[in-house]
Amino acid sequence: MEGRPLDDLALVERARTGDVNAYEALVQQYQQLAYRVAYQVTGDAADAEDAAQEAFVNAYYALGRFRPGAPFKPWLCRIVANEARNRRMAAHRRTALAERAHWAQVSGEAAPSPEAAAEADEFRATLVKTLGALRDDDRLILSYRLFFDFSEADMAEALKVPKGTVKSRLSRALTRLRDALPADFQLSSGGTIGG
Amino acid sequence: MAESRLTNTELERALRELGSRYPYPPTPNLAVAVRRRIVARPVAPVRGLTLWRDPRRLALAAAVVLVLAGAAALISPTTRDAIAHFFHVRGVIVSRVSPLPSLSPVTPLNLGRRTTVADAQSAASFTIGVPAELGAPDAVYVDSEVPGGEVALAYTPRAGIPLVKQTGLGVLITEFRGDLVPGFLTKEVGPSTTLEETSVNGDPGWWVAGEPHLVITRIGDTDYPVTLRMAANTLIWEHGGVTYRIESSLSKAEAFRIAAGLP
Repeated sequence: MEGRPLDDLALVERARTGDVNAYEALVQQYQQLAYRVAYQVTGDAADAEDAAQEAFVNAYYALGRFRPGAPFKPWLCRIVANEARNRRMAAHRRTALAERAHWAQVSGEAAPSPEAAAEADEFRATLVKTLGALRDDDRLILSYRLFFDFSEADMAEALKVPKGTVKSRLSRALTRLRDALPADFQLSSGGTIGG
Repeated sequence: MAESRLTNTELERALRELGSRYPYPPTPNLAVAVRRRIVARPVAPVRGLTLWRDPRRLALAAAVVLVLAGAAALISPTTRDAIAHFFHVRGVIVSRVSPLPSLSPVTPLNLGRRTTVADAQSAASFTIGVPAELGAPDAVYVDSEVPGGEVALAYTPRAGIPLVKQTGLGVLITEFRGDLVPGFLTKEVGPSTTLEETSVNGDPGWWVAGEPHLVITRIGDTDYPVTLRMAANTLIWEHGGVTYRIESSLSKAEAFRIAAGLP
């Protein structure tokens, strides 16, 4: 799905000179990541699509100010997350209450419930729902690290925070997630959530 | 109870496993839409914004330009024009671009939070002007992230005020402290768009009309736009540090009639 940094560098350089094919290749490589990052912020499929598309267009026009040699992925994610936040605020389509209902619904849809996997499903659903209720920054840092496997440097760049603070922010986000989970929340038998 | 709770390691492992099964909707194909919205041209079109974002460098550059201005004005009419454009309306940078990139005609306006005139007034550091010609707006927005606040007055289409497809509105008026955010608004104007220096109520302004032009807004030191969209006919001017912008599909004379009711 994602390109190697060296490939990215070459594609970014070509895109800066007006090579639309090179930029399209970057869009194809990163569209899934961009869409999922946007979805983590908006919690809405249509808003996430709009935000990701807008972010790619904005990023294209901002390439002139992109620091040569810098990694493209976290820079793009910063634009995506910002665009997703703007979209959510501008839309005013969901009140906090509706949003909680939405996340509850998403968590309900998290997995069909074959009986054998019921416990794991419930575990996952609770985790998704609780993540959805966290503030954006916490959900994003947890997603970058644990869903999208970002390095600390990439997380720092994507969140625009000093690299030295990433670990402590991640730890605080984990703590807040744990505090928000139901008191009886435990790993399913076998210690995994696999179902 | 505490001893039964998950450790960080357990929670991280659980999240990693969730990540591979997270209930995302299917990823749409964005590449086609994005390609349609950009054109083949080098991507360093926004001039001088780094300079404009830094007040100290801006002050230094302004001092240098002012020192040179006298001599330049004597030497070259072209240089004189360029300087005039630089200082014409604070908060706005206007430039000719060829070709103009093609964007979707309808993109989000990102006007900020919907509110009332009274509430917007409490958030803005200037007196909001509401034009007598149009009366009370149908919707008011305020964006407090713009230094000094940016206020938008939206008027829906009505008899004599046709729909603008770029905004979905009849008239859109925005007001912000151009003196506080010199590089806030960039206008890129293609070859088929009229760009005219003008005077509004005695203050310097621009009339931009004809083919839609590109509007880009940025706040602070962000390196990407808050807004990037196509705009219709626009009258823009500055009075007392506040920059006013009227966007519509109305004629120049009609736009001036609306402007007459503003500072």
